[in-house]
Amino acid sequence: MNIVVLVKSAVDEAELKADQSGHPVLKGAATKMSAFDMNGVEEAVKLKEKNGGTVIVLTLGGPEAKKAIKEAMAMGGTKAVHVLAEAADAPDSLGTAYCLAQAIKRIGAVDLVVSSEGASDTYQGEVGAMVAEFLDLPFIAYAKKVETDGVKVRCEQGLRGTVRVLEARLPAVVSVVSEANVPRYPTLLQVMVAGKKAIEDVPIASLKGPDYPDTGTVVVDVSVQSASRKRVIFDGTPEEAARKLAGALKQEGVL
Amino acid sequence: MKIFGAEQERTLGSLYGAEAAEVYSALLRSLSVVLEEEVAPLSLALDEGKEGISRPRRVLFDQGLCKLPHPAEFGGMDIPFGVYALAMELAGAADASTAMSLGIHNTVADAVSRFGSPEQKKRFLPALLSGKKLAAFALTEPTSGSDARAMHTTAAREGRHYVIEGSKMFITNAGEADLYLVFAATGDGHGAFLVEGTNPGLKVGKPLKEKLGMRASHTAEVRLAKCKVPEDSLLGKEGAGFEQAKQLLDSSRIVMGMICVGIARVAYAEALAYAKGRDLFGKKLSDMQLTREKVANAAMETNASRLLCMHAARLKESGKPYSSEAAQGKVLATESAARTCDAAIQLLGGYGYTSADVHRHWRDARLLTIGEGASEVLRLLIASQELEKEP
Amino acid sequence: MTGAVLSYSESPDLAGEVAAAGQEVAKMLGAEAVSLELDEVSPGLLTANKVVLVKGELPLEAIADSAAAGILELVKARGFGALLIAETRFGTIVAAKVAARLRVGSLGKGKKLRVDEGRLVIERDVYGGRFTATVASRLPCVAVVQAGAYEAADASPGPAESVAVTVGEPKVAITQTKQGQQGEAGIKSALKIVSAGRGFARKEDLVIAQDLASALGASLGCSRPLSSDLGWMGEEAHIGLTGAYVHPQLYVAIGISGQLQHVAGIKDSKVIVAINKDAHAPIFQVADYGIVGDLYEVVPALTKALKQG
Repeated sequence: MNIVVLVKSAVDEAELKADQSGHPVLKGAATKMSAFDMNGVEEAVKLKEKNGGTVIVLTLGGPEAKKAIKEAMAMGGTKAVHVLAEAADAPDSLGTAYCLAQAIKRIGAVDLVVSSEGASDTYQGEVGAMVAEFLDLPFIAYAKKVETDGVKVRCEQGLRGTVRVLEARLPAVVSVVSEANVPRYPTLLQVMVAGKKAIEDVPIASLKGPDYPDTGTVVVDVSVQSASRKRVIFDGTPEEAARKLAGALKQEGVL
Repeated sequence: MKIFGAEQERTLGSLYGAEAAEVYSALLRSLSVVLEEEVAPLSLALDEGKEGISRPRRVLFDQGLCKLPHPAEFGGMDIPFGVYALAMELAGAADASTAMSLGIHNTVADAVSRFGSPEQKKRFLPALLSGKKLAAFALTEPTSGSDARAMHTTAAREGRHYVIEGSKMFITNAGEADLYLVFAATGDGHGAFLVEGTNPGLKVGKPLKEKLGMRASHTAEVRLAKCKVPEDSLLGKEGAGFEQAKQLLDSSRIVMGMICVGIARVAYAEALAYAKGRDLFGKKLSDMQLTREKVANAAMETNASRLLCMHAARLKESGKPYSSEAAQGKVLATESAARTCDAAIQLLGGYGYTSADVHRHWRDARLLTIGEGASEVLRLLIASQELEKEP
Repeated sequence: MTGAVLSYSESPDLAGEVAAAGQEVAKMLGAEAVSLELDEVSPGLLTANKVVLVKGELPLEAIADSAAAGILELVKARGFGALLIAETRFGTIVAAKVAARLRVGSLGKGKKLRVDEGRLVIERDVYGGRFTATVASRLPCVAVVQAGAYEAADASPGPAESVAVTVGEPKVAITQTKQGQQGEAGIKSALKIVSAGRGFARKEDLVIAQDLASALGASLGCSRPLSSDLGWMGEEAHIGLTGAYVHPQLYVAIGISGQLQHVAGIKDSKVIVAINKDAHAPIFQVADYGIVGDLYEVVPALTKALKQG
């Protein structure tokens, strides 16, 4: 079976710095595969190992996204398609989903598209659902467990509060949550081999048809949040510290 | 602390050029993820004896750390030695004991790769590189450490066998190893012998539990009594042993130096984080000039150590003599790591002195100014090479 | 005139909040505010908005496919200015589906909605909550409203206008449903939360946190490892980027190191307290009050101190 796994290259949010004016310093910032996408890749590779077939890593992003693609390839991707979009041409989530759907159509016979619950940088979790709509395929979100017999896909879905088993005919789109699996660490040999595999580049412009959804959605500004916390540490024995803390909470009026 | 950060990436770039560095960066970044998630979190427990070293060592064997510098023909990856040395810096930052255990193991693999017969390579290398077999390097003796030529262990030929008699001291991986590379006097010279851990003539003494640092690695005496080994256990030629040991130690010193660079980086990062947060006399500890001196020294010495070790590694890669540079790198890296870790304890004050999370770095680094060539002996080696130079 | 501002929540607990958001946006646009309800009106719904009840032959809220289809049928017939959906996993999927089907902008999950030059603007957390992105979209568009960002109006709705829609068979079938212990919105609206992390050695020890929670009258939450990896608590208790965003008056983090993903979910708390044995734990950087120490000693001491008043 042919599985497409959607992978995003994301800025390493823990490393991201703000400049003097409070804007993120994105130029030269460290990037990596979005953490949740590792679960998507793991699930896709596991399904491939069980059912045979291929795992095609599909990414939309700038040249720096090659790094994330190679990380996914090292985990077991068979081949990779890179929709190249420089930062200036980066589409909104709907445009991204449209282009990914177009790329999937070009790949051809795809049985399953796997995405993750959201990107580690923006965490909106909407692209998987949108891709399914553009392809007019069934979509199962937040899957904790994915099984397929090649005809149908069955997932356990966790919507907090309820757990349900959902079923859809293939081809379908599934997004997995991070408790679905534990992503493997590729060995150094796999990393080296993946580094040499060819990646098919697709310019984003070649995917945009006349029906491209131009919704005029733009990011106007990105600014650092100021967290001004008191950061008072109470010391002494546990009892003394606890008493001081209880006193402070009383004064705050939060008891 | 990020184990593989911008600094390491820049070093790779400046040494290997952008294109190759991209490939090597991907390798080391991938390794660093495993080190950060699976090894570093065990480090304190390893020091306290609450966790065994076989677990993190297995993780790194499975990753293929020991495969990096060895030939692909035997399951290696043909990666330049310097990249492996940088990988060992990262391993040292995650857990020094584990890194040292693997570094010494890999010195034996290096021995087989360089001096072994085709049969020996086929027989031992794949198992050593994948970690199916663990190796120990048995050169030092109770009464001869740095003066290796003075060794008392002997190997006498008996028909198609050798019989080894003697004792080896402070042997890393002793008791755990499946294979020991034992150096012994063979009449007119020395020989290196591959002795299986199961050989009834090989006995391992009590583990040395009172070690100052590197507490997770196993260290013990290895006694060889009527230890009979087949003649094809000899590595290379009879009489070549001493020269082999010298060559192996030259490259091992680079690795030990780089492990110390890793140790220094962790101690330094911890101290720096503390200094930036600690309030003192209405300022931050990191605002004090005397703190800044420590910070600057730590940065300079750590970078200088890395670069000198990597310089030796690059010389080795290009087939040029590097014995003195390796010794210089090791002396600088190990001694400056001990200084940096000492400064970290000082900066953290009472917390530094009372917390194993801080002082274990100093304890770990402290070993490597002694093991694999004590600083004093290495200075003699460096000086004698200097004195031989034309003015 | 701009089309109506529609608000919708799958969770009855958040229906009032998202209706209030709809009310505010509608005012800015000079449009009508409509609370959309699917299948039945949320019990205890607080809003002054007009309520439109959408019903299909089959329950629409059974599955996101049907809920999206139901909303689509309505907006196709009547048009709309903006659609605001309350933040739940279900709501997130419905919002994405509706935006894709209508090919209108999707602003994502955020708060502080406003109208600027005829565009709808939202502020949302990005990069693990360390930065705020301000995103704008042409109208009509879809947005997901973060829990706690708006306060429900103190008003009971008038009679609902009922609209019948016909939606097709969903592409996904439900073959089994297991009910969890608590609704998703429970922890999101809690005023006090005691939260447990990896510092707890055993599941049984969580009683220490529960005791403190009882003394405070707080809800019990946890960091992701406890619900996902260890399964000690239900998923509804999971607080953070991938779980619930909370905004209590008091948040007590016990044995939680304070990874970015967790902190993202708690930073709107009024007062944050951290108890951790590691003085370097990042949680102390985002806490108002902290105690460095063994939780097994500190927490019972705190419980005792609070009981003594």
